[in-house]
Amino acid sequence: MTRAARFAAAALLAATLAAPAHAADAVKIGVIYPLTGNAASAGQAAKAAVELGAEIVNTAHPGLQGLPLAEGAGLPNLGGAKIELVNVDHQGDPSVGQSQTLRLITQEHVVAMLGAYHSSVALTATAVAERYGVPFLVGDSVALNITQRGFKWVFRVTPIASDFAKSYTEFLAEMKGAGKKVDSVAVVHENTDYGTSVGGSIVEAAKKAGFAVIDIAYNAKSTDVAAQVLQLKDKQPDTVVFVGYTADEILYMKTLRDLDYMPPMIIGDDAGFSDPSFIPAVGDIAQGVMNRSAWDIGKPGSVTAEINELYKAKTGRDMDDTSGRWMQGFFVLADAINRAGSTDPAKIQKALQETELKPEQLMMGYRGVKFDASGQNTLAATYLIQLQGKEYKAVWPANWATAKLRWPMTGWKQ
Amino acid sequence: MIFLQVTLGGLLLGALYALFSSGLTLIWGMMNFINFAHGEFVMLGMYVALIVVVQVGGGPAVFGLAAAVALFLLGVLIYFSLIKQVMRGPMLAQILSTFGLALLLRYAAFWIFSPNFVTLPPTALAGTVNLGGILLSVSQLVAGIVAGALTLGMHLLLTRTAVGSQLLAVAEDRNAAMLMGIRPDRMQALAWGLSAASAGIAGALMAISFPFSPAVGETFALTAFVVVTLGGFGSVPGALLAGLMVGLIQALSAYYLGPIYKDIIVYGLFVALLWLRPQGLLGTV
Amino acid sequence: MRWGWLALAAALLLYPWLVAGTGSAAFLQDMGALALLAAIGASAWNILGGFAGQISVGHAMFFGAGAYLPLLLYQQWHLPPLLGVPLGVGVSLLLALVVGLPTFRLQGHYFSMATIAVAELIRIVVSNWDLLGAAIGLQGPAMSPHWWDLTFRSAVPYYYIFLGVLTVLLVVTWHMQRSRLGYYLRAVRAGERAARSLGVPVRRYKLYALMLSATFTSLAGSLYALKTGFIDPDSGLGILVSVQLIITAALGGAGTLLGPLLGAAILIPLQTATNTWFGGSGSGLTYIIYGAIIVLIARFEPGGLLELWRHRVAPRLGKRREGSHAA
Repeated sequence: MTRAARFAAAALLAATLAAPAHAADAVKIGVIYPLTGNAASAGQAAKAAVELGAEIVNTAHPGLQGLPLAEGAGLPNLGGAKIELVNVDHQGDPSVGQSQTLRLITQEHVVAMLGAYHSSVALTATAVAERYGVPFLVGDSVALNITQRGFKWVFRVTPIASDFAKSYTEFLAEMKGAGKKVDSVAVVHENTDYGTSVGGSIVEAAKKAGFAVIDIAYNAKSTDVAAQVLQLKDKQPDTVVFVGYTADEILYMKTLRDLDYMPPMIIGDDAGFSDPSFIPAVGDIAQGVMNRSAWDIGKPGSVTAEINELYKAKTGRDMDDTSGRWMQGFFVLADAINRAGSTDPAKIQKALQETELKPEQLMMGYRGVKFDASGQNTLAATYLIQLQGKEYKAVWPANWATAKLRWPMTGWKQ
Repeated sequence: MIFLQVTLGGLLLGALYALFSSGLTLIWGMMNFINFAHGEFVMLGMYVALIVVVQVGGGPAVFGLAAAVALFLLGVLIYFSLIKQVMRGPMLAQILSTFGLALLLRYAAFWIFSPNFVTLPPTALAGTVNLGGILLSVSQLVAGIVAGALTLGMHLLLTRTAVGSQLLAVAEDRNAAMLMGIRPDRMQALAWGLSAASAGIAGALMAISFPFSPAVGETFALTAFVVVTLGGFGSVPGALLAGLMVGLIQALSAYYLGPIYKDIIVYGLFVALLWLRPQGLLGTV
Repeated sequence: MRWGWLALAAALLLYPWLVAGTGSAAFLQDMGALALLAAIGASAWNILGGFAGQISVGHAMFFGAGAYLPLLLYQQWHLPPLLGVPLGVGVSLLLALVVGLPTFRLQGHYFSMATIAVAELIRIVVSNWDLLGAAIGLQGPAMSPHWWDLTFRSAVPYYYIFLGVLTVLLVVTWHMQRSRLGYYLRAVRAGERAARSLGVPVRRYKLYALMLSATFTSLAGSLYALKTGFIDPDSGLGILVSVQLIITAALGGAGTLLGPLLGAAILIPLQTATNTWFGGSGSGLTYIIYGAIIVLIARFEPGGLLELWRHRVAPRLGKRREGSHAA
C-alpha cells in the first residue's frame, strides 16, 4: 500500500469513528470467538447469545424483571449509551487471538474485552489486555492458569475445572451416603487440552474423595472406541464420567449399546453431551445420563424462559449452557460498565472488582458473582441435570432440582 | 472371548481401510504419485451419502452407489484439470497440487456443511447380532464384509478383465502400452476415477456407523498412507492384507496397551517401514 | 539493481515508522512482525525445499522444537526463555540427523510422506507427555520486568529482532547459493542420480542443507514462542505449520532468495484481511483461498510469483520499452 493510500485509509477510519458522535457515543466491547474451525458451532451459538444480550441491554425489556439493565434501554449511568459489539473470529489460533485483541484495543478502542472459548486463545489474548490495561472478561474458558498469573485486568465469571470436579465428587458422595453402590469411578477423557485439564481435575478430586479411580485417556476424533468400552465392561466401574466432544460421545453411546454394556450411571461433562446433535442422535439409548449445567430454562414465564424464547426466535433452537455462560459474562461486564459510569478502563476495572451480584440478578444458576483477588468468581457453581425423555432436567442439588433423580440410569432398556 | 471380540472389530474396520487404500495404491503404482487429498475423497463420500439420504431417501445400496458415481466423476475431473498437467512439472508442483486440493476440498466442505459432526439417520442395518457371545453391530459387520468384497473385486477387475490389464500395462510401462494402442491418458483418468470411487464407497459405508465432519479426511489420509506403504505400492492384494493388519494392530494395541499407543504404534510402524522396507510386504520396487 | 536492494532495505527498516501515524499503527506493526516471522520460517524451509528440491512436509518438527524448548525452560524450571533458543537449535539438529539420514534414501513422494509421518509421530508423543505440557501446552512469561524475557507491549521491538534474524538468514542463503553447497544442491535438485554419477556427494550435502534449514526453522519457532507466549501441539507441531511454511515459500518462489519474503508479504496481510472481512460472519474463507492459491500455483506457475514476473510480466514490459526506443 502506498503512503498516500495509507493516509487515505486512516482518514476514512477517522471519519467513520467521528460519525456516530452526535448519537450518545456507543460503548464498544470487543468479543473474540472461534467462528471458524472445529469449535465454530459453539462459537456461532455464543455469538448469537452475546448479540442477544446486547439487544436486551440496549432496548427496553420490561418482561425481564430483576435482570440488571434489561428493563430500560441502554446504560443509564452513561446517558442511555448503547453497547456496540465488535465481533472477531480467532479461528482457534492463539496467535490470531493475540493479534486481533491488539487490533480491538488499539484500532477499535474497545473499553473491554470478552472471550474466548479456547483456553489457549484466552491465555494469549488476556496477556495483551493486561499489558494495555483493558479489562478482559472470560465468559467460558475453563483452564485454571488463566486466573493464576497474578493479572489484575482479567476476570472470570464461569466455574472452572476444579469446580466441576468438586460438584461431581460431592454428588457421588451424596449418592453413596444414600446407600447406592458407588465405590469406583472411571473417567474416560479425550486427550486434547479440554479433556486433559478437566479429566485430570476430576481424577484428582475423585481420588481425594476416596473413590477407586480408573483413568482412561483416548484420542479425540477416534473412528472406533470399542477397545475403551471393552475395557470398561471388563472393569465394571460404578459410574463412568465422560469428558469429550460431540462426535466421540455419540460414538461412545452407540458403542455401549452395541457391546451391550450399561454402567449404573454415566455423567457427561457438558461439551459433547450438551451439543444440539446429541439428543437427536442417541437420546433414545441414553436415557438417564447425567450432565452438568448452570443453565436451566426454568418455569414458563420466568426470566430464563423468556430469554430462551428470545434466543429461539433468533437462532431456531434452545439456549445451551456454554452460550448461556457467554451471555452471563456479557451481562456482568455491562453491569460493571454501567456502575463505573465511564468508559475509562481503569474505572471499569474497579467496578468489576466491586461486583456483587445476587443469584436473583443472574440468568445462570450461579450462587452469585463476586471476584476474588485473582479475578475468579468465587460464587460460580454448576449443577447436574439428567436426560429424561427428550430433554435434560435439573436434578441436583435438591434445592435447584425440578425433577426427580433416577438412579441407576435406564439407557436403552425400558 | 474378549480377544476375539477385539480382533473381529479390528478386522472389520481394517477391511474398510483396505477399500479406501486400494485406490491410493493403484494411483501410486501407476503414476508414482501420491494423492495427499485422498482422505478428502473418503470424507466427500460420507457427505454424498448424507445428502442422498436427506434429499432422496434410500438405504445403503442407494447412497453407496451414489457416492461411488459422484466420486468417480470427481476423480476423473481432477485428473484432467489438474493432475495431467502437474505430472509434467517439478516435484514441488506435484506435491503442492494435491495438498492444495486437500485444503480446498476440506474447507469448502466446512463452509458448505458446517463443522458440526453429523450422523446418518438409522438405516435398515441398525441393531446388533450375537455370534456366539461376540457382539457385533450389523452395520459394521455388513460394511466390513462389503468392503472386503469390493477390494477383492478391484483386484479381480485389474487382473481378470481387459480394462484391468490395460491399466496394469500403463502402470508397468507407459511407452510400451502406448505402442500397443492403449491410451495412457484415458487409463490414468480411469484409475483416478476408480481410486476416488473406492474411497467414496468406503466413506459411505463408514458413515453408516460413525459420526463424521469435514475434518475427518486428515486421519483417513494418514491411515491410507500407512496401509499402502505396508502393503506395497501398486498392490491391491497388499492393500487388503495391510488394511486388515493395520485394523487389527490398532484394535489390539488400543485394548491391551491403551488408546494413546494405538496411533504411536501405527505411525512408528509406518516410519520404520519407510526406512527399512519401503516396498512393503507385497510390492515391487 | 543496486537501487532495488536499497529500496527494499529502506522499506523494511522504515515500515514501523511509516505506519506509526495511522489509526491502526499498533496492529499494522504487529502484522509486519508476523510477516517477517513467516518469511524467516519460509526462507528456512526454502533452503531444503526450494534449493535442494527435497519437499519436506514435516518441518513443523523443527519449528516445534524451537518453540517448545524456551517455554519449557521457563514453565518448568523458571529460567529465562532465551536460554532455550540455542537448546532448541540443538534438538532440531539432532532431529535432523536422526530423521534425515535414513529418510534421504527415499525419493520424491516417499520422502515427503516420511516427513509427514515423523512430524505427526512427534506431535502425538508431545501431546501425551506431561513434562511438555501434553495437550494443554506451555506458557511463557506474560508480563516480565526483565528485558531478556522479551515481553514487549509494542510489536516494534519484535519487528526489529525478526528483521535482524531474517537479514542474517538471507545473507547466509545468498552466500550458500554462491558456494559449493549451493552448486551441489542445484545439481541434486536437477536430478539426483545424474548428480551422483557425476561425483556429487549427494547424501552429505543434502544433510548439510537439512541442518541449515532445521537451524533457522528452529529459530523461527523460538521467535514465535517468545512473541506469542504460548505453545501447544497444534500451534507448534501441527501439519498446518508445515504447510504454511511451504505455501509461503512457493507462492513467492521456491528456490529464489526473496521468494519467501514476497510470499509472506502477501499471505499474512491476506490472511488478516479475509479474517477481518469474512471472519466475523464465520465462513472460513481463508483456507479455501489458501487451497485455491496453492492449486493454481502448482498448476500454472510452480516457480511462484517471482517466476511469473520474470517470464510473463517483465518481458512484456521490456518489449514495450524496446518498442518506444525503436520508434
